[in-house]
Amino acid sequence: MHNLPQADLIFGLSPVWFAGGLFVVTYLLIVTERLNRAIISMMAAALMIMSGVLTQQAAVKGVDFNTIGLLTGMMIIVGITRESGVFQYLAIRSAKLVKADPWGILVMLMLVTALLSALLDNVTTVLLIAPITLLITDTLKINPYPYLFAEIFASNIGGTATLIGDPPNIMIGSATGLGYNDFLFNLAPIAILVLLLTIIPIYLIWGRHLTADPQLISKVMLYREKDAIKDWLLLKKSLFVLTLVMLGFIIGHDYGLQPATVAMFGAALLLTLHVLPFSQEKQSKMVTKSLCDVEWITIFFFIGLFILVYGVETTGLLEMLAHQVIELTDGDKMVTAMSILFVSATASAIVDNIPFVATMIPLIKNMAASFGGAEQLQPIWWSLALGSCLGGNGSLVGASANLIVAGFAERSGQPIRFLPFLLMAFPLMMMSVLVSSIYVYFRYF
Amino acid sequence: MKASDAMDPNPVTLKPTDTIECAADYIMERRFRSLPVVDENNCYMGMFGVNCLLKQVIPKAVFLPHGLENVDFIHESFEDLYQRFADVKDLPISICLNQEIQPIEPDAPLTKTLLQLYQTRASIPIVEPGSCKLLGVISYWDVGERILAAGKLKNA
Repeated sequence: MHNLPQADLIFGLSPVWFAGGLFVVTYLLIVTERLNRAIISMMAAALMIMSGVLTQQAAVKGVDFNTIGLLTGMMIIVGITRESGVFQYLAIRSAKLVKADPWGILVMLMLVTALLSALLDNVTTVLLIAPITLLITDTLKINPYPYLFAEIFASNIGGTATLIGDPPNIMIGSATGLGYNDFLFNLAPIAILVLLLTIIPIYLIWGRHLTADPQLISKVMLYREKDAIKDWLLLKKSLFVLTLVMLGFIIGHDYGLQPATVAMFGAALLLTLHVLPFSQEKQSKMVTKSLCDVEWITIFFFIGLFILVYGVETTGLLEMLAHQVIELTDGDKMVTAMSILFVSATASAIVDNIPFVATMIPLIKNMAASFGGAEQLQPIWWSLALGSCLGGNGSLVGASANLIVAGFAERSGQPIRFLPFLLMAFPLMMMSVLVSSIYVYFRYF
Repeated sequence: MKASDAMDPNPVTLKPTDTIECAADYIMERRFRSLPVVDENNCYMGMFGVNCLLKQVIPKAVFLPHGLENVDFIHESFEDLYQRFADVKDLPISICLNQEIQPIEPDAPLTKTLLQLYQTRASIPIVEPGSCKLLGVISYWDVGERILAAGKLKNA
């Protein structure tokens, strides 16, 4: 519980009830998707301040600027890098590497999607890979559904592997001080295993039936991947900065460099290299375009959400809930970790995992005393990361990347329907969570 | 002057059930850019033209929102393009109607009509007020002929 001045009663309610009620209403509004989520969270944050639960200074303190900075910096870097055409190059090259064999292409696109999702972010990755996928499947005259389904899974699994792969990991890393390497060493092995295991059912369901006319295969082989690169110089600059940023993530933690600092430095450096050769007027236009590529809806959604959750936290509600969770699990760390893994996976399949993780972070932090200190919470953090990231595969609304792929599929005349996807994806997601639970058990207990 | 003063009151029209192949042959043979599509009651439904035909032979992935921005890596022959056209040639033209071209009323001022013609770069349907009945079409050629004729008359 934080020692902040708070109103005694708000509209006749205690701050705990008011903040809790506002939180629940906000959650429900986010789930209905009737109003843009950034507006909902900003409104909730404003109400939290106007009602007196938080002062404005306290609200600003509640915003995790490490998460905001990391997200914004990476969005700028990825936005500039994509202009080079490197992602299209990778997708085409990987398809040609397997001689445009339909099953081979599916596996390669899954691997590329997972890799890019781990190194960049999964929304950008699917935005870049899905159109190429539709082009290839259109050329081969095969159903794109298995490919898009596989890419949804690959993007969420790949995103699980690193600190920057998926917003829940960014938030967990920022809140706990766990670095890039911690995520890589603890989550990448299980993410790779889950990805490989996911390929098996996809092969059994679709892969073994995938065939294409040799003449059409030869058309894909005629694609000249080098022509996909629009700007070789920009590609070199982007790869240089991306390498520096990755190095910064890997070694910066030991020198007290937060990921947001690294990402923001990378963004500033790439912007400089990108615009430097041009006139001042052109520079302004280029910088404006790069900043417009930032997903401001996501950024403002985060800011509002941080304030909302901080408001709830200051009332002591999350501390009470934490104690109840510990009571329910009899204070057993393993049971708590497993519960969080499965609950977060199920919840993330139903609702946006960002507000869920934003709520769980202070709740788990409040368990530190019961488990013998913050150091002892690591297995629980990994469980939360695995559950919330992999859980996104459970339904079409489980992650933003899923909805983007579904949008592409719909517009290309091959819609991915909610229920058929759920029936196929939820068991597959639960399989991945089950494998993760075995991993967590043997690695940490 | 009003829009109706410059329109062709007997334009060639297409039916929504016409096949893309049939419409393509007609358009290509007579070098039309676009033609109005009307139902059995002469109700205007949209325009069909060369742009739609072109769209059919370009990979679909290009036209998706956030779709492929760069297609430099695709190198295709006329046979490849025809193959893509062949996939849709038996489909009705109703799948590819341009409904972005706003029809105008016959009493619309001529200058406003010309501005719309300039902005849309396609023939504009003239529709009866309060209904969808097609009364005529204004094309570049209709307007151009009238303007040049007015000049000749003045100089004569």
